[in-house]
Amino acid sequence: MEIIEKIKTNKSDDNLTEIQKICLHKLQSSPLPNPKNELWRLSSKSKLSNFLDYSINEKDSKFDIPFPKDSQSTIRLIIGDKCQIKLIDKNYSIQQLSEDELQKYIKEQISFFKQNENWSDLLNLSLSCKNNILGLKINGSKIPPIEIFSHASSNSLKAKTLVIFLEKNCDIELLQVNLGKENSSLSQSTFFCLRENSSVNHGVVSYGENRSNLLNSLNVIQQKNSTYNLGSLHFKFNYARFEISIKQSAGNAKTNIKGMQITKKDEQISTYTKIEFNGPNGFLDQINKSLADNKSHAIFEGSIIVPKIAQRTDASQLSRNLLLSNLAQIDTKPQLEIIADDVKCKHGATISQLNEEELFYMRTRGITLTQASKLQLSSYFQEIISFIPISKDKWDLLDKLLNED
Amino acid sequence: MVNENLVKDVVKEPYKYGFVTDIETEKIEKGLNEDIIKLISQKKEEPKFLLDFRLKAFKKWQKMKEPDWAALGYKKIDYQDIIYYSAPKQKEKISSLDEVDPKLLETFDKLGIPLTEQKKLTNVAVDAVFDSVSIATTFREELAEHGVIFCSISEAVKNHADLIEKYLGTVVPASDNYFAALNSAVFSDGSFVYIPKGVTCPMDLSSYFRINSGDSGQFERTLIIAEESSSVSYLEGCTAPMFDTNTLHAAVVELIALDDASIKYSTVQNWYAGDEEGIGGIFNFVTKRGKCLGKRSKISWSQVETGSAITWKYPSCLLLGEESIGEFYSVALTNNLQQADTGTKMIHIGPKTKSTIVSKGISAGKSKNSYRGLVKMGTKATGSRNYSQCDSMLIGDQASANTFPYIKSQQPNSEIEHEASTCRISEDQLFYLQSRGIEFEEAVSMMVSGFCRDVFNQLPMEFAAEADKLLALKLEGSVG
Repeated sequence: MEIIEKIKTNKSDDNLTEIQKICLHKLQSSPLPNPKNELWRLSSKSKLSNFLDYSINEKDSKFDIPFPKDSQSTIRLIIGDKCQIKLIDKNYSIQQLSEDELQKYIKEQISFFKQNENWSDLLNLSLSCKNNILGLKINGSKIPPIEIFSHASSNSLKAKTLVIFLEKNCDIELLQVNLGKENSSLSQSTFFCLRENSSVNHGVVSYGENRSNLLNSLNVIQQKNSTYNLGSLHFKFNYARFEISIKQSAGNAKTNIKGMQITKKDEQISTYTKIEFNGPNGFLDQINKSLADNKSHAIFEGSIIVPKIAQRTDASQLSRNLLLSNLAQIDTKPQLEIIADDVKCKHGATISQLNEEELFYMRTRGITLTQASKLQLSSYFQEIISFIPISKDKWDLLDKLLNED
Repeated sequence: MVNENLVKDVVKEPYKYGFVTDIETEKIEKGLNEDIIKLISQKKEEPKFLLDFRLKAFKKWQKMKEPDWAALGYKKIDYQDIIYYSAPKQKEKISSLDEVDPKLLETFDKLGIPLTEQKKLTNVAVDAVFDSVSIATTFREELAEHGVIFCSISEAVKNHADLIEKYLGTVVPASDNYFAALNSAVFSDGSFVYIPKGVTCPMDLSSYFRINSGDSGQFERTLIIAEESSSVSYLEGCTAPMFDTNTLHAAVVELIALDDASIKYSTVQNWYAGDEEGIGGIFNFVTKRGKCLGKRSKISWSQVETGSAITWKYPSCLLLGEESIGEFYSVALTNNLQQADTGTKMIHIGPKTKSTIVSKGISAGKSKNSYRGLVKMGTKATGSRNYSQCDSMLIGDQASANTFPYIKSQQPNSEIEHEASTCRISEDQLFYLQSRGIEFEEAVSMMVSGFCRDVFNQLPMEFAAEADKLLALKLEGSVG
């Protein structure tokens, strides 16, 4: 693990940015997360070490967007592209954050970081060079949908960071696509700041190839009256972690999350979410689905934290899981931590297989078992996929999920 | 409409079991080492296998670390500052209850526990444990007629050593956890129940645990064995005097159910909880586990947890036998500065096993109440099912309620359902009851009782009524 060695020795490299130095310093005392910590207990140690086995290659190999052709109305950005972004229209502006703004914001975030909880972010920020950090300030109205790509090329480890400030009264659709090539590791950290009255439909599609790994972390701060909708999908990664941290900084905000992870072969994909309500009248509706087949392992851990100040919070969390093989396993742990008394909080979790009665019914109508299973699965997937912005019409995600091995 | 001005954080009703019995006791010196363990074993005239069991457990305990994963905060326990053996002095071995020190009988009378056999109407056999020893067991002859063995574990060690040697530590091994290891090393007394094949125990069995001395810990051990096609209902109650120091209680309960056997284990735990400032109270670290070894066997835990400053307790079921059933019904109430981290573990190992979990947590004052549970479906648990329901009720804006369910499945042909919710006492319902002339506190108590109904329905009659009253009493003055 060359990276860990690098962290341990912390060679003073002139090319390192100040942020990188701070994060390296933070990691130095314990460069790896504590495997006994609840957030890392179930994470495969060998897979994590495999993640770290690739070396960092600063030079980006050429990247072809594998998905449907760019349409006129969509803004497409690739993290790591050196071009300067300045899109100004009469209704809106999308501009790159200045280095000072970026540094200030990230530094502030780092000051709240905890070793185990934010290990993925610390690693990301200590590896992410200047070119791989994209900071955007979005303002105005009638903004076309935005697609942002991160990718890791074969036999390398890439760290990419995205920071987005969404100004007041702004409303966007954003799709983030993380692509892992064969034998690669991608570390993606996203920081989102939603100012008052802003609203985002955020999609995260992480799509791997053989033996690709992903550490994907998403930090969202919601100010008053903002709405954050997240639809996420992670599949085809040998090892992937999706860590979501959402803070409603003054309550009165809405959060909707619909996420899904699909594991096959011997893959391990996990989702960790932490939603904090720091003010009254917060709203959360979360559903996380997992599907585990073959020898794979799917993990969901979600915590909802409602302190005394967060009166009249309405939060619900549901974890639905399908276990399709004798050798696969699913772990799920929805959690509630509540101090306020005037709240409505609930969570639920189920683990089962495909519904036999429904399968039987379809078979009596002449549908083969394979087709019937696919039908059931497609309805299971559809709830999440339809929530992912932009993708639903042109990306054929459903087809990918149902028909690829 | 709930009037915020009415909020009072203090339970006014004093803890009515808080008296101390003035009785001459025999105590050994404070501290824990091999010599102390040998001394306890010697005092109890134990066979060698048990001393070896204790010493082995002690060695393991020394290497273990006190667990810190529970959502509990308490001052560090000094294990060398505890007396590990304390017993009321008795001149000679007692052959009948008439010879028990009247002061002790009076104590249990005051607690409402009928030790005198005239009070047969209750039809409950009682094993009364006072500090480190069992002082009396009632209805023994009647039980013996049916072949049921119900005695203190010390007696069982002497008279039924074969059963003890065969089963002790098979459900909760000494190395299971820190507190189980400590208990295995120093356990002083507890109850032993053996129900022979095909026997339905003719009456409810009951143990009553009383801590009297402020500086000694209580480490009791209960072992219940239900042979094929037998069944038993067992009740457990606990109280302690009010001291401003914390007393440690680390018990181990092991249940074994063979083919078609059923064990129902009910607890009303009312240890002293400390005062409103959080001073004093029992530290209750208990390991309770049942093993459904046989086919179609059933173990059902029901508990009402209202006492203790700290509760750390997870009554569990290992469902090994085909079609075996595990149940857990719990009401945990915390008030003032009490902290409870309680729940259950349902480990499905055998095929077609079923489990049900119903947990109700009520947090008032500045207390902290956490449900922590594990449901695991092993690879062979085909056709197994689990249903869990955890509801929390918050009273006042300073109490906290947490839910930490861990769910793990390795068997696709099994189903797990879990649901949890949090609520407060509905203002509309309160208003309705008050408009019908029901006093505010009574209305609250009615609603709390309604909230806990699912669990109370599972308790034996005597306990259900007591539990209802206990909750009302504990909440008095804390709701506004």
